[in-house]
Amino acid sequence: MLQLHSTEQLLKAIALACAVLSVGIGAWYLIRRPHLHRVTKSLLLLGLGVFPLIVSLTGNIASFEYTLTRPFCGSCHVMGPYLRDAEDPKSNSLAAMHSRNHKFGENSCYTCHADYQMFGAVTTKMNGMRHLFKYVTEYASTGPDGEGGPPIHLYKPFKSEACMQCHSMTAKKYLEQHADQVEQMRSGDVACIDCHNEVHPLALTRRISAKKEEK
Amino acid sequence: MKHQMAKKMVLFSVLGTMVAMVFMASSIIFPLPLLLVLAMSIGQGIAIFALALFLLAVALDLQSSGGSYIPAEEPAAAPEPDPGTEAPPPPSP
Repeated sequence: MLQLHSTEQLLKAIALACAVLSVGIGAWYLIRRPHLHRVTKSLLLLGLGVFPLIVSLTGNIASFEYTLTRPFCGSCHVMGPYLRDAEDPKSNSLAAMHSRNHKFGENSCYTCHADYQMFGAVTTKMNGMRHLFKYVTEYASTGPDGEGGPPIHLYKPFKSEACMQCHSMTAKKYLEQHADQVEQMRSGDVACIDCHNEVHPLALTRRISAKKEEK
Repeated sequence: MKHQMAKKMVLFSVLGTMVAMVFMASSIIFPLPLLLVLAMSIGQGIAIFALALFLLAVALDLQSSGGSYIPAEEPAAAPEPDPGTEAPPPPSP
């Protein structure tokens, strides 16, 4: 028995059911080849118009929801080390610790790497398209975990705004611990990851080794 | 002529929709990045084109039949008698 645990799964089930109905109506038309009378036209309107529209809408939403998850980010083989570290229950990297937090859960990559602004979801997904282009053109034929490909790097510096979604810069404990850097932090001269840089240790090692190899 | 053309257009529309549905369903079952992007762009493009083709076919079909209602099962209406000839007399009781 199919069990639906989330809205995403429900939408996927609706999309698949509508796709099956649409294909069924299409197959019926191809086999029977009925005359184009009113009943046929109505059925075809369902099969070629209404059901595909539902598939399109629900499929888009379900797919978008899925693209926010860690398994999707890790589905490109170059992301292997990042994914393994984030899912390692013994790892003390920031990525792993945040992934163990239920507030991040399966969406830990997206939560930290999405642009934090009004159209952040759109700009993030546009960046995703760029990732895909880079993957196809530069990393598709690389070895396991992207070995042999160019080193992976962020397109732009990681902004502290992503951290500040949860970690307030006005909290008493924060002000006590960061008394020297508060102004620099607020002005953007110093970023959180300048000091807390154990985010993706495996990736960091790989990047350094890649640079050494280049030299 | 237009009716035959409409039938062909509906046939292509059905085939296009079936391809688009299989494409989109496969991207939902196997959500790989490249497949997702292709299905949600090319797949939806094919589906929209197929729907437009179907609507055009319906419009053509209505135009060729003069917008008249063609029932599904009823036989075609008998031709009207020539106005020059007299109607046959009613059968005697």
